[in-house]
This record gives sequence, C-alpha cells and structure tokens, in this order.
Amino acid sequence: MKSQPPGPGPAPDAAAGGAGTGATPPPPPHPLRTLAEPVRGRLAVAVGLQAVAALAGVVPFIAVSRIAERLTAGPPAEGDALWPLVALACAAGLVALVCGTAAGALAHLADNDLQLALRRRLARHIGRLPLGRLTDRGTGEVKQAVQDDVSALHTLFAHTLLDVVSVLTAPVLTLVYLCTVDWRLALVGVVPLLLGVFLFSRAMAGAAAQMAEFGAAVGRISSAAVEFASGIAVFKSFGRGGKAHERFLRATEDFADFFAGWVRSTLACSTAAIMVVAPAVVLLLLSVPGALFVVQGWTTGAELVPFLLLGPAVAAPMGVVGPRIQQIRAGQAAAVRVTGLLAAPTLPEPKTPALPDGHHVRLRGVSFSYDGHDDVLSDVDLDLAPGTVTALVGPSGSGKSTLASLLPRFHDVTAGTVTLGGADLRDIPASELYRRVGFVLQDVRLLRASVADNIRLGRPDATDAEVERCARAARIHDRITELPDGYATELGTAVALSGGEAQRLSIARALLADAPVLVLDEATAYADPHSEALIQDALSALAAGRTLLVIAHRLSTIRTADRIVVLEDGRVTEQGRHDDLLAAGGRYTALWEAQRAAGPDETDGAPRHRSAPAGADRAADDVREGSAR
Amino acid sequence: MIRQLYRVLGPEGSRPLNRLLVLQSAASVLQGVAFALLVPVLKALLGTDPGDVLPWLTAFTGCVLAHAVLQGAAVGGGFTVGSRLSRALHRRMADQALRLPLGWFTAGRTAGFSRLAGQNVIQVMSTPAHLLRPFISSLLTPVTLVAATFFFDVRTALVLLLCAPVLYAVQQASTSLMRRLDLGRDAAIGESADRVLEYTRNQPVLRAFGRTAEGYGALDDALAAEARADRRLIVRGLPGLVSFTFATRLVFALLLALGVSWQLDGSLTVPTLLALLVLLVRLIESVSSAAEAGAGMRIARNTLERLGAVLDEPPFPQPARPRTPRDASVEFEGVGFRYDTGGADDPSSRPVLKDVTFRLPERSTTALVGPSGAGKTTVAALIARFRDATEGTVRIGGVDVREIAADDLADHVSLVFQDVYLFDGTIEENVRIAAPDAGPAELAEAAALSGLDKVIAELPDGWDTKTGEGGARLSGGQRQRVSIARALLKDAPILVLDEATAALDQENEALFAEAVRTLADRKTLLVIAHRLSTVVHADRILVLEDGAITERGTHDDLVTAGGTYASFWHRRTRAHGWRLEAARP
Repeated sequence: MKSQPPGPGPAPDAAAGGAGTGATPPPPPHPLRTLAEPVRGRLAVAVGLQAVAALAGVVPFIAVSRIAERLTAGPPAEGDALWPLVALACAAGLVALVCGTAAGALAHLADNDLQLALRRRLARHIGRLPLGRLTDRGTGEVKQAVQDDVSALHTLFAHTLLDVVSVLTAPVLTLVYLCTVDWRLALVGVVPLLLGVFLFSRAMAGAAAQMAEFGAAVGRISSAAVEFASGIAVFKSFGRGGKAHERFLRATEDFADFFAGWVRSTLACSTAAIMVVAPAVVLLLLSVPGALFVVQGWTTGAELVPFLLLGPAVAAPMGVVGPRIQQIRAGQAAAVRVTGLLAAPTLPEPKTPALPDGHHVRLRGVSFSYDGHDDVLSDVDLDLAPGTVTALVGPSGSGKSTLASLLPRFHDVTAGTVTLGGADLRDIPASELYRRVGFVLQDVRLLRASVADNIRLGRPDATDAEVERCARAARIHDRITELPDGYATELGTAVALSGGEAQRLSIARALLADAPVLVLDEATAYADPHSEALIQDALSALAAGRTLLVIAHRLSTIRTADRIVVLEDGRVTEQGRHDDLLAAGGRYTALWEAQRAAGPDETDGAPRHRSAPAGADRAADDVREGSAR
Repeated sequence: MIRQLYRVLGPEGSRPLNRLLVLQSAASVLQGVAFALLVPVLKALLGTDPGDVLPWLTAFTGCVLAHAVLQGAAVGGGFTVGSRLSRALHRRMADQALRLPLGWFTAGRTAGFSRLAGQNVIQVMSTPAHLLRPFISSLLTPVTLVAATFFFDVRTALVLLLCAPVLYAVQQASTSLMRRLDLGRDAAIGESADRVLEYTRNQPVLRAFGRTAEGYGALDDALAAEARADRRLIVRGLPGLVSFTFATRLVFALLLALGVSWQLDGSLTVPTLLALLVLLVRLIESVSSAAEAGAGMRIARNTLERLGAVLDEPPFPQPARPRTPRDASVEFEGVGFRYDTGGADDPSSRPVLKDVTFRLPERSTTALVGPSGAGKTTVAALIARFRDATEGTVRIGGVDVREIAADDLADHVSLVFQDVYLFDGTIEENVRIAAPDAGPAELAEAAALSGLDKVIAELPDGWDTKTGEGGARLSGGQRQRVSIARALLKDAPILVLDEATAALDQENEALFAEAVRTLADRKTLLVIAHRLSTVVHADRILVLEDGAITERGTHDDLVTAGGTYASFWHRRTRAHGWRLEAARP
C-alpha cells in the first residue's frame, strides 16, 4: 500500500490522524471479525437458531429408530406407544424447519444491513482518498471491494456460517446417539469420516497455492478477454487469417493446461475422498459388519436400523467441506481487501482550517511526483494575479496538465506550497476550495443524470432560470431544447452528446459554479472542430473576469495572455509576454516558429487580428475573437 | 440445459459429454438399485433367520461397488468435460468474434462479450462436475427408488407417485417466484454497480464541485435500492425457500404415519415398514439435493443461453468464389447504410448514409469533412468492410467488397483509427502485429514515416517499452504514432486515416500532416479530416452532411462555390484567430 508522501508542514501529523480508521491496538482482530462487529449479535442468534435446527433435524430419525425398537422388541406394539413417537418426529421436523428458516432469514437480514453499511462506508472513504490512489489502481480495485468483496462476505455471513454450524452440530448428536445404540458399530461408522478427512487433506495439500494460481489464471483470462474484445477492430484488421486471436487463445490454452494438470494431480485423491463418504459406500461399510454382528447375535436387526438411517449423516460433512473452506478463504480474503481499502489513508483534512483572503494563487518551490521517484514538476514558482490570464505552454509530457491539476487539488504537491489567497490549499476545507477553483478540462465527465442536474453539479440549489441562463451563455441551450425531454433528458442512456456539446455543457456547469479561479484546457476549444466556434464563444463567456490558468496548445490563442509560462520537463524555463518571449528568441520562439510551419491555418491569421484594447471597461469585451472574416 | 451444453460444445466436443451422461446415469440408477437392495437386506436381518441375508448382501455389495466405480469415473469425466468445455468455448467464442461483423461490437456488446468469453466461460466449465452430475443423480436415483418400491409395497409406491407431481409443482412455483424476484434485484445490482463505477471514475469532477459521498445522492440511492431489493428478496422469497423443504417433510410425515397405521392394522410387516423408512430417508435426501442442483442449473442455463446466443449470431457473410481487386481504387455507388432496426443498441433507424457515390482513384488523396454524426466514420467502416452497405455497392479495385476474401481485403486496406487501441505488450509487438515477419529495415521505415522513431529515441526502453493495458502508459500522441506506424508497416495500398479530434498537440498535428504528404504519392488515401492543415493538401474534398455528399471538389473550387465548405473554412479561420483573455484589474 502506498501512502501519502511525507511533506513538510502539518501534513504528516494529519495523515497519521487520518489513517486511524484501521484497528491499531496490539492484537489486531481478524478483519472479518472487525467487519462483522455491527451485526454480531444478530449473527450469534442466527447461529444459535441454526444449531437448534440442526439438532432438531436429527430427532425424527431418532424417533424412527425408537419406533423400530418398539416394534421389534417384545410383544406387538400398541398404537399408544407408537403415535407419540410419530408426533415427536413430525414436531421435531417442524421445529427444525422453523428454526432453520428463522436463522437463515436473520442472518440474511443482518447481512443485508451490513452490506449497505459497508458499501456506504466504502463510498465515503473513496470520496476522501487521494485521487492519485484512484487513478493508479484504477477503478477495478474499488469495484472489486464494493461489489465483489461485499458479495463474498454475504456468502460467508448469510450462507457458509450457518452451513458450518449444521455440519458441526448434527453429526455430533448423531454420533452420540449411535454410540448409545451400539458403540462398536458407531466406531465403524466413524471410519468413512476419518478416511474422508485423510484423503481430503491429501487432496487439499497445496490447494491454497493452486487456488491462488487458479485465481491468477482466471484474472489473466478475464483481462485477455477484455483486451481481445476491446481491440477486436485492431486484431481483425491487422491480424491475418487465424492469427488474430492468438494472444487470447494462448491465455486460454495456458489456463486449460493448468486446470487439466491440477485436476490430474489431485483427481485420484479427491475422487476417493468423495467416494468414501458417499451414502451408498457408507451404507455398505455399515451393513456388512452390521450383518455380521446380527448373524453372530452381537446386536439385533432393530439396532442396525438407526445406523442405516443416520450413518450417512456422520460422514456427509466431508462432502461439503471443500466448497465451505473455499468460501471461508474467499470471505477472509475479501475482508482483508475491504479493510485494506478502508484503512487506506485519506487526504488529510486540515487541522487548522484556513480561509483564503482574496484569489491570488501562488506556487512556491513546487515539485510533484506520481510515483515518488521521477519528478513531473520540479521547483516551480508561479503567480496568478486576480483577473489575469496565465498560459502554460510546452511540449506534450512537460507537466502542463499536472501543474494545472494542482489548483483544484487533484493531487497534493510533493514539495513546496500552493496557496490561494495566502492559505495553503491543504489547509482550505474542501467545501471552500471548490467554491473558489473551477475547471474545464478536455476530458469531460458527464454523469448519468438529467441535463439540468449535470449543470447543477456545483450548486444543487440553483434555480431552473439560473441553469438556463448558464446554458445559454455556454451556447448549449438550443441543443438542449432539441433533446427529447429538454433539460430533464437523462444523459448517458438513450441520449449521447457529441464531444463538443459535452464540452459546452461542462462550461455551463463551470459558469453556474462561478468560481473566481479557473483552470481550463484550451484544447477543449477544438475537441469538436465543427462546433469549435461555439465552444470558443462559451469559453470566452466563462473566462470573463476570472483568474485564468490555461493549458495552451495553439499558441495563437494565448498570444495576448498576461503571462506565458514555458514548461519543459517539469521546469519553468521561460516566462513573460508574447512579444518579450519572441524577442528573447528562446524556446518559446522555437515553438512559435514550429507552429507557423505546421500548417497554413495555424498562425497565418495573426497579422489580420486587431489587437485587444488594453483596459477594456467591460470584462466580457476583453475576450476577443479574431476578425479574419 | 443439456441441450445447451451440446450446442455450445459443438459436434467435436460432444463425445466426452455423451460418455459423462451415460456414466452418471448408470451410476445413479445403480445407486438407486443399491439403496433398494437394502430393503431385502434389512428384512432378512430383522427376520427370523438373519443368515438369509447373504445373497442380498452380496447383491448389495456388488451394486455399491459397481456404482462406486462408475461414479468415480464420472467424477473424473466431469472435470474432463469441464476443461474440454472451457477450451472449446474459448476457441469458439474467439473464432466467432472474428467472424462477426465489427459493427456488431457496440460498446455494450464489447463489455458483454469480454465478460462472456472471460469469467462466464469459466463459470460454465464447472457445471458438468458440480451441477450436471448431482442433478442427474438426484433425478434418476429417486426414480429408481420409487420404481423399486412397487416390489415391496404397492400402496407406499402409489402414495409416492401421487406426491411426486405435488413436489414438482411446489418446486416449480418457488423457482418461478425466485426468478421473478431475481429480475428486480438484477436491475438494482446493475444500477448500483454502474453508480459505483461512475462515482469512482468521476471523483475529480465530483470533488471539484463539492459532491462527496454524502453529496452524491444518485450513488446512495442506488446502494439503498440494492439493499431494498435484497431485503425484498429475503422476505418475499422466504415462502419459496421454505415451501419445498416443508413439502418434503410433509411427505415423510405422511408416509411415516401411514406406515405405522398400516403396521398397526396388520397390513404391513414390521421389517418391510422399517426397510421402507430407510429407503424413504434416502429418497428424501436425493430429492432435496435435486432442488439445490436445480437452482444452480437455472443460473448456469442463463449463462449458457447467452453464450449460445452469441455463438448463433449470423457470421459476416464471406464470398463463395472470392475475386481479387484489380487495383487500389475505391468506389462507392449509390451506397446507403442504416442500422438494423429493432436492435437494442440502435436507438434510431434513421439512415446514416444516403445514396453516397464517389470514386477514389489509385494514389489519390481525398479528404472527407463534415460535422460529427454526418457518417464519416461509417464510410471508413464500409471500405474496410466492418459493416456491409444496406444499399448500393462498395468496390475496391473494381470488385464488390463482398466478393473479396477477408484476408485479401485486409491486405488491401489499412486503417488508422481515431481511438487508438494498443494491447498490453511492447511497442514493437504492437507495431509488428501488422506484419510479424517484417525485417528491421521495414520497421525502421514505418517508424520514421510515422514519427514513432522520435518517441522510441526518447523512451529509455525504446522499442521494448511496455504500452500498458489499452496503451495506458503512453501519451495520446505516442499512441497515435504507434497506430500510424502499425498501419504503415502493413503496407496496404489503400490507407484510411481517421484523424484524432482530441489530444493532438501541435507537434503531433504537424507530424500527421507530414505523414499524409509523404504517403500521398504512394497510396490511395482517404483522410477523415478535422484540421484544415490536412484538408488543404488533399487532391479532392468530399463534404458529407447528414449522410449525403453535398459538395465535392478542390479546396479552391469549394471556397469559391461559397457553400458549406466555404462557411466551414471561414469559421475555422475565424476560430483560429480566437484569443483568450480576462479582464485586467
């Protein structure tokens, strides 16, 4: 588990405090126990009920055995002697059914509450994890914990637990009763059980390692299948003839070989283990010596009846023990993963919350690394004065997006500080920060919710009129009214927006949130070339009057920025205004020239633009459009 | 269920399944006979001369041993069929994937397919050993036992025969109740799984807008709905779960009471009664496990049905007598395309292409432009025959694509997709998939043309750099270059380039334009263009709007004509003059 990189200041203390979710006292209880704690009482009652049910389930057979005894011993039995036993058998059967059902229902209901509580806890925790942790291991880990692992725990608590209780109690009562009938035959009855245990443990030798290998092989097949299906177009158009699915087939062949090998190595043992506890075989093992006993007069035929009735039940647990052991292991592993995720350190909450005073953004000596080794940003100093435009330029991979992601605190700096209005970002409560820093990035994320709710994301209480006003300003209102249900249309199901439309929607969202500091990716503006102009209009509306940090791709767009910052390999190598940088003839000049050469449409429009009038009185006017037309 | 197993196994895989079925059936019947033989054994032991037991005991022993041998073989057979099943299914699914038209693979189906070919096949492979065997056994053993009962006491046998349909009806009723309840629950589980993924993937945006777990109601609603659906299943499903057990216990109680009363009125001897009770216990056990196996079989059957449905999808038709393209020209004649109506994934049956006619001469460069949704990508898909035109004809080298063998077509057409997919391997493996036998010189040339050589030079591991799953370890631009290099290495005479709209920085854009220029005199090029820098170099421009070609000609012609392209051009040039500024204080 990777933890937060230690940094100067209060962060480490806060991290230690935040990590206190896991149990720290000396003998740590097994994660399974910790997780089950809230429903422990109900589970205990369920276990008790199940034990009663299991014991009551044996009673009808005992009653039948007594009937056999009455019928064979002495004078012909009277009805009065038999009917109570019949009634006992029926009543015990009913008790077993009622208790068993109650136990099952109780365990299920307890587990039902536990599942919801666990999923909610996980969701809350995920909402506080550092984003780096979520992107690192992707969403697979979360899905595994919230869905699969919680389900594995369900199997364990609602099914396996009670099964194990039955399997442990019923045979004991059975065996005790059989001993009272004839202890010698009872001993014979234990033989299949012992043989079963011996053979089964031999078959299971090394099973843990094999199971792990099996799990890994299944995982490999799954990812091979995902790869094969997602890449089908590539595999089909590049792979020739039968070769295209070679990679996938190799994974499956490896799996099948492994499985066949595993089966071969344990088949004899496990088959023997299954067979030795099979009812027919147990009955054979009992009836041959039983017959001998009867013929020899050591016991009576009637005394053999309980053995034939109950004998198979003594060894039966061995038949189900394999799957149960696997379920218990799976449950334990799931509990370890769930607690592991719950114990993952969250983003430290500020100990002494600070509120920003103003909107001046200041980066000092900022370094950042995703993996703790290679710095993506090194020693960056940067100032974003309120109401100014700062553009980040540089080759791809130079750290532009990473730098921009520090402002909305998607990541915490590895070294140095980022302050907003004089307060360290780490000291600003999350709810305050998001009100002040907004962003529009290229990778738009729309939620499966109505259009209006998507726009309202940052301000759930915004009125319909406010939503519509922002949608109009973002040049998306007209498109929304064309949707089947207008603003109420649910996105992501029947209706999909084009890339550019999604961009404009995300701009409307940012407009409504109305944060004074804004991070935006200029590439957004040409994500969908055919609605490029509309997006530009929307962005212009958004940018008006805010402190802007722009990730710039097309240098012509940011020619008039207050400050252009050239990033190379995570370092700021040049900064200044367009003309100054061109005059300096450094890296920026080279980038500018390269873009001019790239295509006729990139910078050739430059001379035709009127320059922006300095000190324009209305903010919105300050976002200029070229006048090439 | 068995029929579905045969279907997905295919003819070559069915032999071991036959063997398994025969073995298990014989073992189950023998088990029933063995249990039945306990009756004379017990009767003899309870009788006056226990010595009479010997012949019966011998028969019983023989039966049990025979049962054990067959059953042991069936256990092994179950695993053999299982592993056979996984091999056969994986291969058949993979083959089927290649036979299906690429258009079949919508986003939803792709996810479904990978689940089916991955986890689900592995679930299915355990059915012969863990479900099919117990199911056969729990069906045939009771049948044998009931039949045997006729030899011992006809009344008991008749009562059992009367009980059988009742038990069956109870079982069916509880199964259908559970299935109904399951339906609602499946939907709730799906919804909550979706919301969890959405919540996790969208953490940046959710947090940035102040929506943490408490603030994101859709997730909590979904979780609560799942819990509610579960609770409903527990509460309402209870009668279903209890009824069958209750019914079997009732049968036992009934026969116990009847047996005792028949014994009391002297119509049933004590030994027969006791022996029948032993038999009855075996019978009840077997029947109970039938119910359990039945539930598992239901789930397995659903999975098998889904597998079968994919395997039964009609494959993309291949020509019976393939013809070879004469040259590298491409021709569309009156081509129309619409999605199959009624398909679950196709919301509309609106035509995507209408009466599209054009010709790309050999070694010409054509740019296809138009708003998103106009059908540009569909044109590319029809050339590579990812789908078939619903009207008109697509020809390559004068031959209808439907008459060209798949491999031959693949040799003629190469594609650079907009959304680049790299598989988890090295860069070299990803490029070489196009031509596994390519020499170092060819590889180097493809790399140079695509600009991949610069990427390779910058990466510490060079060609051996791992791309990560889906190419995740490379940047968008790097992925794009790998994809172009791959297409170039294939060296097909026709190249369709779908220019990426996003994640292209200046450097990549310049590179793309450069590659187009270099390739122009070597190949027939169709560029689905989003950037003017690419468009202006084309010999010819086709403007596609709403599925129809509305303008065609050179850049100058079209600008002069003053149509859609001209306004597009003006808007783009205006757009490029756009600047971003904010108010100065």
